[in-house]
Amino acid sequence: MQLAASKARPGGPSGTRRSLPFKVNRRKLTETLTAYTFLAPYLFVLIVFTLIAIVTALTLSFFYVDFGFTTPIFYGFRNYLNIWYDLTHDGDFAAGLRNCVEYTIGVVTLQTTLALFLALLLNQKVHGRGFFRTIFYLPSMTSSVAISLIFYWLYQPQGGINYVLSLLHIQGPAWLENPSTALPAIMLLNIWTTAPTFMLMYLAALQDIPSTLYEAARVDGANSWQMLWKITVPLLRPTTFAVVALGSIGAFQMFDQAFVMEGASGTPLRSTLTAAMVIYDTAFQKSLMGLACAQAFVLFIIIFAVTLLQKRYIDANIQY
Amino acid sequence: MSTIGGVARAEKAQLPSVAVSMRRRPPLPLQPGQLVLYIVLIGYGLFSLAPFLFAFSSSFKTYAQVLSWPPSLLPNPATLDNYRFILSGAQLFPRYILNSLIYAGAVTVLNVLLASMAGYAFGRMEFPGKNFFYLLTLAVLMIPSQLILIPKFLVAYTLHLTDNYGGLIVPAMVTPTSVFLMTQFLKTLPRELEEAALIDGCSRFRAFWQIIFPLVRPAVTVVALLSFQGAWNEFLWPLIVMSHQENYTLTVGLAFFKGNYVTQYNLVLAGAMISIAPLVIIFFIFQRYFIQGLSTSGLAGR
Repeated sequence: MQLAASKARPGGPSGTRRSLPFKVNRRKLTETLTAYTFLAPYLFVLIVFTLIAIVTALTLSFFYVDFGFTTPIFYGFRNYLNIWYDLTHDGDFAAGLRNCVEYTIGVVTLQTTLALFLALLLNQKVHGRGFFRTIFYLPSMTSSVAISLIFYWLYQPQGGINYVLSLLHIQGPAWLENPSTALPAIMLLNIWTTAPTFMLMYLAALQDIPSTLYEAARVDGANSWQMLWKITVPLLRPTTFAVVALGSIGAFQMFDQAFVMEGASGTPLRSTLTAAMVIYDTAFQKSLMGLACAQAFVLFIIIFAVTLLQKRYIDANIQY
Repeated sequence: MSTIGGVARAEKAQLPSVAVSMRRRPPLPLQPGQLVLYIVLIGYGLFSLAPFLFAFSSSFKTYAQVLSWPPSLLPNPATLDNYRFILSGAQLFPRYILNSLIYAGAVTVLNVLLASMAGYAFGRMEFPGKNFFYLLTLAVLMIPSQLILIPKFLVAYTLHLTDNYGGLIVPAMVTPTSVFLMTQFLKTLPRELEEAALIDGCSRFRAFWQIIFPLVRPAVTVVALLSFQGAWNEFLWPLIVMSHQENYTLTVGLAFFKGNYVTQYNLVLAGAMISIAPLVIIFFIFQRYFIQGLSTSGLAGR
């Protein structure tokens, strides 16, 4: 496509036709070589650790691969049939996916709402906006492991959260030991850590909305509530799509928090087992690399389908 | 997939634009609506800070005190024993910290250098294949890391990059996010900057190194901060790639430490504080750049 562009380039009077194309090509060649020299380290990482890795993942999902020194055995669709059996017989992967869906719906809904709410607050005429933004963002930048350790302690039956609840005369549960509260507890922790990142995206988008729209609406007698629902929210749709899509991609892959707080088996009663933890277990504990790749591919297809649906329903073109 | 809103948005946004929000506003009389606004803001601020402050104070408590009910806000007596125990060397924590520093330090320096080189090619040069590789970069930003985790490990294993620093550093030495940020920034610099020098016969390498690189400081800061944060906080990859305990990073070491000292919250919290402190300090010094970078990329926080 670049060649076509150079051919269409104007100039090149007929008198210099003999020497010019050669010169141009040589300069172009040097430029191309230089560009690829600049790109070489990046393309190495991109090709080796991403592109080759994707192709390998797909290929291995059709093999039996024991992590060791045995040759892979072609398995056809047996890994996928294995997953199908797991899914239809309430296996670990089924439990992991179920938890992921529940977790993603809860986290994405609440964190998107919270992110938008916080961004709208900070978009008001506020003194010390930078200060509040920094403080709000603090949970988002610290390590998931350290945060999980802090909340592991706060969620104890005799921990800080139940103490605050006891001040309100509420008897808090043993958050992390009860199958019905363990996953919601991790959800709350994750909403708290991720919402501020998306708040920043909303804040940047809010500042791009022309103030003339609000002025015109005010002249027409609209109140703030109407302006929020008729101007702000519709114009934020592309950002909302990004926030929901990125949030879902992240939530579907949750690993660190559950692994640190509840251990590799997703106690209690698999209630915090996630798909990522099952994949980790299949690959590195059970040493079934091929099956793990197939599981990862199924997870990818689910995430991809969810993103497409979100694109279709949230990022739909709006007409004025 | 590359048309996902975040990327499309960020294409448009320029790094320095966030500065607009930092401008001072004239003082206003406090109205009832505003009072509510400030109460909510301060309330959420406390909600964000409280777990850190409480954990920080409790990391100076004794074992008996950290278990006491009702919990006390301040340690009494305050003791440094928890930190002394952790840093004594018996727990390998000094080694974990060193490993994390080498990992995060190398990833930061390499990302700044290699991503600005790649960004220079994508943002300021014309060559066949440019659009293809740049679109590929944008597409890769959207791929869930779980998909390639196992083959990435197998590739690293084949290249003898497991259980050593190379395994941590090489796959992360120039990330698509860094390249994306650098390209977006380098595109915005005027083309005339190096044009005259190039016509005078200056090589692309000299033009990059002597003219352009000194001008990319804002983007360098963002890429450096995000790379450091990403590597310092990374958990799953070091967990997989490192097998000997002395090779663990701080995050992995902490997770296993918690497994051994389950109810000794005073020790666990001191460990968590050691992991959080460097980032909090860096964050408060450079918070403006952090937030610029995140508003632009919208991706790095994952």
